[in-house]
Amino acid sequence: MNTDWPYLEIHQSRTHEPSPYELKLAATLEEVFTKVGSELADVVRGLNDRQVHAPDGTPWTEESFTAEMHRLGA
Amino acid sequence: MTTTPLTADHLYATGLRGQWHPVVPSSFVAPGAMRKVTVLGEQWLLFRRSDGTLSMLADRCPHRGAPLSLGKHLGDRVACWYHGVEVETDGTVSSVPGLPGCNLEGKQLVVSLPVKEVSGAVLAYFGTEEQPQPVELTLPEPLTDPDTEAILCYAEWNVPWRYAVENLLDPMHGAFLHHDSHTMFDGDTTAKFRIRETDRGYFFEKTDQRGVNFDWVELCRTGVDWVDLSIPYPPSAGPGGPFGIVGMVRPVDAERCAVFFWRYRTVQGWQRDTWRFLYKTLIEKRHWEVLEQDRVMLEAMPADADQRENLYQHDLGVVRLRRLYRGGAEAQATA
Ligand code: FES
Ligand SMILES: [Fe+2]
Repeated sequence: MNTDWPYLEIHQSRTHEPSPYELKLAATLEEVFTKVGSELADVVRGLNDRQVHAPDGTPWTEESFTAEMHRLGA
Repeated sequence: MTTTPLTADHLYATGLRGQWHPVVPSSFVAPGAMRKVTVLGEQWLLFRRSDGTLSMLADRCPHRGAPLSLGKHLGDRVACWYHGVEVETDGTVSSVPGLPGCNLEGKQLVVSLPVKEVSGAVLAYFGTEEQPQPVELTLPEPLTDPDTEAILCYAEWNVPWRYAVENLLDPMHGAFLHHDSHTMFDGDTTAKFRIRETDRGYFFEKTDQRGVNFDWVELCRTGVDWVDLSIPYPPSAGPGGPFGIVGMVRPVDAERCAVFFWRYRTVQGWQRDTWRFLYKTLIEKRHWEVLEQDRVMLEAMPADADQRENLYQHDLGVVRLRRLYRGGAEAQATA
């Protein structure tokens, strides 16, 4: 760990550099929250409408989206 | 706690005693590791046993004053590099290898501070002669409420500690310094403020706008000094409403400080997970850019900035703060 003064680290909450999939998902989520809504059903519909799917290529369901957020946001 | 007499000016410049202060993020001291840290102008050693137990010792060997932080971690003790004297985590000399049976053995000769770990950060109690035992500590509710998710951001600034706290008691800078940020672009650039006293400090708040920019701040003195404030998020941040900040400042010495900002939001379940995901991926960097605006401005302030001011109504929160800390420093001075 860097112990030099000053400690100025932009990223302190990450455990890894986000993958292209994660970056795309995050950017699309921001768009969906802005343009569609912030209920769970809105989010799932908004992502699917934009063809931004789960890593296995299948459309999101409320269950699969919740599980993926739990994995990525832990 | 310290043998040199403390003047009011020194206390005002390096931080008040008789209270808890944040030290470093917990992750800075891994199990089985040590870390040197400067707090309130003094040198300290954080020492963590492999079972996770943390202690904080004066970084000064009781033999001839060498820094213990240059020594060796022995699991439950530290051995000074200079002549090998071994000190336990409570400050007791356990062995003098060069002279077994030496009368230093068994004596508690190194100051050790009470520590607590809270929401990812180490807090330590810095006593006074009148108040050597730790004062009661009431933690900020956003850090203990199970429905509130808090993420710590830690940074080190070449800024006197009080300037960093004053910056937090100055909400109006949000509409100017942070005007181009993702969260503080909105709201009036004129405002009237008032001070509202509470039983733990005071609010400094706009009388004519709430929930738009950085519109209020509460100073809380609950055994540790902290501020609470709230800033709206744009809709892109998803459900959960505004985010709050619990802010604490560690005086390093008269010229430097370390800042602790817990960004928090009342979110649970998938909303919590999604905020955390967006935070790690996109939002943390934007928050960092806002914080950098504060750092750049504060580091550029002249050393005599507070000697040649022309204050106006928006500075009442700062004036109140200085009066509090100046009064505290005078009450604690021993010289
Ligand atoms: S100064 Fe530490 S052992 Fe001598
Ligand atoms: Fe700021």
